[in-house]
Amino acid sequence: MALLTLQGISKRYRQGELEVNALADINLTVEEGEFAALVGPSGSGKTTLLNIIGGLDSPTQGTTQLNGTDITTLKEAQLSDFRLFQLGFVFQSYNLVPVLSALENVELVMVLQGRHKNECHERAEHYLELVGLKDVVHRRPTALSGGQQQRVAVARALAAGPRLVLADEPTANLDSENATALLDIMHTLSHEEKTTFIFSTHDPRVMDRAERIITLQDGKIVSDERHHHEHKV
Amino acid sequence: MSTQINKLEKHGHLPFLMLLRLAWRNLWRHRKRTLITLSSIAVGFGFAVLSIGIGDGSHNSMIRNAIKLGEGHLTVQPRGYIEAPANHKYLADGLTLSEKLESINLAGSIEPRISLRVLASTANNSVGAALEGLSSATDPRVDMIKPQLLKGVWLKPGDARGIIIGAGMASKLKARIGSKVVLMAGKKGGDSQAQLGRVRGIFKSQVPEMDDYLILSDIQLARRFLQGEGADVIKQPVTRFAIFIDDPDTMYEWKEKVKAVVESDQVIAMDWQEMMPQLVQFIIIDDAGNYVFLLLILIMVIFGVLNTVLMSVLERTREFGLLCALGLSRRHLLTLVFCESFIMGLLAIVVGWIAGGGVHFWFSQDGIDFTAIMGEKGTIMMGTFMDPIVYPELSWDRISQLTSIIFVATLGSGIYPAIKAARITPVEALRT
Repeated sequence: MALLTLQGISKRYRQGELEVNALADINLTVEEGEFAALVGPSGSGKTTLLNIIGGLDSPTQGTTQLNGTDITTLKEAQLSDFRLFQLGFVFQSYNLVPVLSALENVELVMVLQGRHKNECHERAEHYLELVGLKDVVHRRPTALSGGQQQRVAVARALAAGPRLVLADEPTANLDSENATALLDIMHTLSHEEKTTFIFSTHDPRVMDRAERIITLQDGKIVSDERHHHEHKV
Repeated sequence: MSTQINKLEKHGHLPFLMLLRLAWRNLWRHRKRTLITLSSIAVGFGFAVLSIGIGDGSHNSMIRNAIKLGEGHLTVQPRGYIEAPANHKYLADGLTLSEKLESINLAGSIEPRISLRVLASTANNSVGAALEGLSSATDPRVDMIKPQLLKGVWLKPGDARGIIIGAGMASKLKARIGSKVVLMAGKKGGDSQAQLGRVRGIFKSQVPEMDDYLILSDIQLARRFLQGEGADVIKQPVTRFAIFIDDPDTMYEWKEKVKAVVESDQVIAMDWQEMMPQLVQFIIIDDAGNYVFLLLILIMVIFGVLNTVLMSVLERTREFGLLCALGLSRRHLLTLVFCESFIMGLLAIVVGWIAGGGVHFWFSQDGIDFTAIMGEKGTIMMGTFMDPIVYPELSWDRISQLTSIIFVATLGSGIYPAIKAARITPVEALRT
């Protein structure tokens, strides 16, 4: 069974006098463990689609099923729980809670999940080590570089054990070296943890790493291609 | 390390410690802003504590003086006397009542007194007066008036003719030390009776009405008038017992005990508030002024906290969007911001009490001298007076009242920012 199924997703909103079709009749299926990129020019609907998949926004039409649950029917509180237990998010920037250290940021979601304190701590340390931040676990976000902050966000997303990680242009604010390092980490962990990744990008370096590239234009899927990459461990 | 959590397994919850940690750190993101808010609350709170303390201190000073000059914390007297005082209304069997009062082992003193309306006359003039027959040299009224003696000496025990009068009365009667004063009182049937008194001393108190109107004597002299009304002297008749309680906070407990042993169709036990309702009214009205000041402080506190917490919420719109995306519910966000107000309230109270309590403690030790405003005799009101040096006082009731008012105001001012935070839409917040 597919992990994610989008059926007839449309999103319209008003911008002044204009009615904008952000997404139009999107049908998409994503299998478990996929490392997929949503690509397309600015305004093509990538972020809107990610927001709908993540339950942060609701479609005007259509259904979104994740692991058999139609999230478009969930109420506000159920959506919060759904995001907490099923999803991980990595945003373009300002991903972290400024008053918490890197370790506490990674622990936060697990704490909200109600995991035991020791488990949260061990998992947070483990994932921070996996993303290469073992030595800066007690630093607050302001004391971390942009690349380090994104890696903390990846560690946080994975440590909570989600079915799906949604990343909205995770490398947009990173230099080439940091972007490549982050992609390597995401790709490797995706395979190791068997976690599905969907990320939006218009960065060719990211597209190059993706195993599946879904191209959006004017709110529609114009191509859906699968590539095979050997992942580095 | 892979752990897949079933979606139906649990609901998200924000543990209290994590909530506190986040709230505490959020509060100190803008250290200066929080410190300025706390300082302004502390200063306001300090003024409120001092103002309420001075108010309570001056009121208590008036109450203490009124109780000492008046009829004690509790008064046992004939039923109906307060509504229509008359010389023929007295407690005929003072001896039995005294024994009953002694039986409850009261922590304080019981002073038998005889109060009569008389006409005081000398060869020169006549004035209406209140004759107060006191039974002992330790009566608190003696304590209050004896130091005010201008001329002469105080009454010696058993002096059945001696009287002490005020300077005002002495002036009207043109009486001096040793002068004879005829004291005449009406009897129940319409006749009158008279006793001779001799001036032993002249006092000048803080209350001019007392100086003009009060005559103090040994209880024996006053009792002769009751004897004239037909009272049996063997039964030690009195017009009232003034009861002074060592710990005024226990007054209501003692009142119940006193009522239980003495009250009947003829006898009633009353507390000072029932005896002096005008004083109680005055204090209530005066307190209202203090509450207006407190209200201004509250407004300052509310706007201080509202400003700090609301600014902090508006600055964190994107962060709240992030937290929503991570799985925090609206309820969690509301709790988090409310918790920030809660901590702010706690800090405000601690800092406020340190500032206000310190100022209060300082002045409660040395007092605040209002002589320049009031004059050396203090302020006379409602038949009593306020000492010119006021020692601020705060009761536990006041402390808990002030604390809860400030705390509730602080929490209340956090409601709007908390609701605002909870209404944030993740998608819009993440766009900011």
